[in-house]
Amino acid sequence: MPEPSVRPEDREAGHEAAAGSSLAPGPLLVAVQGRAAAALAAAPPLAEGLRSRFAPREIEVFIADVGPEGVAIVPWEDAGPGPEGRSPPLTPPPASQGAVAGSASPLGPLLRLGAARGAAGMAIVAAEAHDPSIDWLDLLLSPVVEGGYDLVCPAYRRNRTAGAINSGIVAPLVRTLWGLALRQPLGTEMAISGSLALRLLEDDDWRRRPAEAGSDAWLLAKALGGEARVAQAWLGAWPRPAGEPEELSQTLARALGLVFTEMERSADRWQRMGGGLRPLASFGSGGFEPGGEELDPGRLHAAFSLGLRELEPIWSLVLPPATLLALQRAERGAARGFDPGLWARIVYDFAVAHMARTVERRQLLRSLTPLYLGWLAGLARSAATLDDPGFEAQLEAVAAAFERERRYLIGRWRWPDDFNP
Amino acid sequence: MWEQTKSTFLAAVASIVQTFARLLPGILAMLLLVLVSVLVALVARGLLRRVCARLDVDRRLREWGMAAPAVAGRAGPSQLIARLGAWTVVATGFLVGLSVLESTAASSLALRLLDYVPHAVVGLVIVVAGLAGSRAVERSVLIGAVNMGLHSARLLGLGARWLVQVLAGAMALEQLGIGGTILTAAFAVLFGGIVLSLSLAVGLGSRDIVARSLEKRLEQGDKADTPAGGQTHHL
Repeated sequence: MPEPSVRPEDREAGHEAAAGSSLAPGPLLVAVQGRAAAALAAAPPLAEGLRSRFAPREIEVFIADVGPEGVAIVPWEDAGPGPEGRSPPLTPPPASQGAVAGSASPLGPLLRLGAARGAAGMAIVAAEAHDPSIDWLDLLLSPVVEGGYDLVCPAYRRNRTAGAINSGIVAPLVRTLWGLALRQPLGTEMAISGSLALRLLEDDDWRRRPAEAGSDAWLLAKALGGEARVAQAWLGAWPRPAGEPEELSQTLARALGLVFTEMERSADRWQRMGGGLRPLASFGSGGFEPGGEELDPGRLHAAFSLGLRELEPIWSLVLPPATLLALQRAERGAARGFDPGLWARIVYDFAVAHMARTVERRQLLRSLTPLYLGWLAGLARSAATLDDPGFEAQLEAVAAAFERERRYLIGRWRWPDDFNP
Repeated sequence: MWEQTKSTFLAAVASIVQTFARLLPGILAMLLLVLVSVLVALVARGLLRRVCARLDVDRRLREWGMAAPAVAGRAGPSQLIARLGAWTVVATGFLVGLSVLESTAASSLALRLLDYVPHAVVGLVIVVAGLAGSRAVERSVLIGAVNMGLHSARLLGLGARWLVQVLAGAMALEQLGIGGTILTAAFAVLFGGIVLSLSLAVGLGSRDIVARSLEKRLEQGDKADTPAGGQTHHL
């Protein structure tokens, strides 16, 4: 039987399990999200693994079916063209992982079903193959089912430059706004307790903002801004989705659109929180995968230079003159890269412009691409020269800069027209 | 002689007075109509301002790049819309006033102009929408081209903007009934010319880049050749 995830070594690392935890009764509901064929292939071994680990608890595995009328969850036994030809093939969901919009997320149906069944916990997992060397199911679900946590977010071992939107924008933002140092806030996978599910279902957003409620950014804002006990589980190597990655500017617009929208909706809460890091329980062991050298800092910097030359009229509506000057200096000193404080202020300025609708939102977020590439050039250079602890320190410096510039964010948020473009 | 001159003069004055007396009710009616139209225009201006404020027109137009950022002391788009609406009402009132005059020439001119007003309004709307839309299209094309790494991004944006503006101009002129078939032919030549110029500019300017890109693609199989790393997942 696999070792439970709330292990002594985690406690020794300063991550205490939630006090007063008890084994919550009720079934365990898991929805598999991904391409139809992969989900259908992943469901049977997943169900078997869950039954062997969490026996005698009742286990139900579903497959998320994204259709024109929204997302439905179907018991895996009833889904797909089985031997008796039960149902038609499922509609394929979006190819990319993470930053799933509310309208494309199985969270809502899963929470409703979980509440109806009195579930102890629910989880959404990716259909792609997981790291076989890690008992990732246990790491993801045990903190909720046995540890008394409300939400478990995933973290993965990836190469240094992969997932830089998460590590360079979303994670520092979440840390600054909500005080939790999650490594990969917009991962597809998650585990939720039955009690958090009930609280989330009471939220008025399901009625007022049905397209946004249920996205992973929405879940984070609700859970981190409330009283939920949140943990992070290192699930091993990232389950890489099949096929070509999505085009970068589309990924940026989609992910940051969700994050900035939730930032706007919860502005009164995060401005009251006052900053500072809260302790975060973390299960499993992290680190980096080898690789990540395919990014060419020179080409990334050239893309940034092109953006600076061509998009300056749009950026000047969003960024203060001092930031534009700093960007011109960064463009000339290619080897130094972006100062972390400059990068933090740029992200904050774009968040404020998104809130104030200074520029049409999709155009605004797509115009961030060359800036992101300019920042990524510096990160790629660091990845090539630093060892793992050094690179970790580099990411920490970015997150610390976001925290330092929190006052700048609040000032600009309250008076978005304070600089005259 | 003097008597004859005097009688002719008096007859002329009497005729002018009679004509004026005959026209006076019409002129008074016209002035009254103009006055009413001014009042209606003031009400319309207020209403338009309120509607624009409620719809947040200024912010939306700025968001789409269709209007310049707000500058203190300069009229915003909603003020311009309100003024335009008010002057349209005044002009229409004036034309209606002219039509009640007992002057055949003035009435027929006014009636013809009144018939023309809907076409003029539609033409104006097309021009304004075209100008505004062209800015949004230019910005979108510019951002897309920069993200694709194209060095002629501004040229492409400008070309897209001019295409939309020329199209809107041609539609507006057709609506106004100006030009007829000559306009259609001229538009086809101009539109085709712009597209050809752009194709040549981009094609000749980036011939080497396209060739290198294709070579690389053939060498690397399906691996995309983008600055951001074709196989890198950024999320």
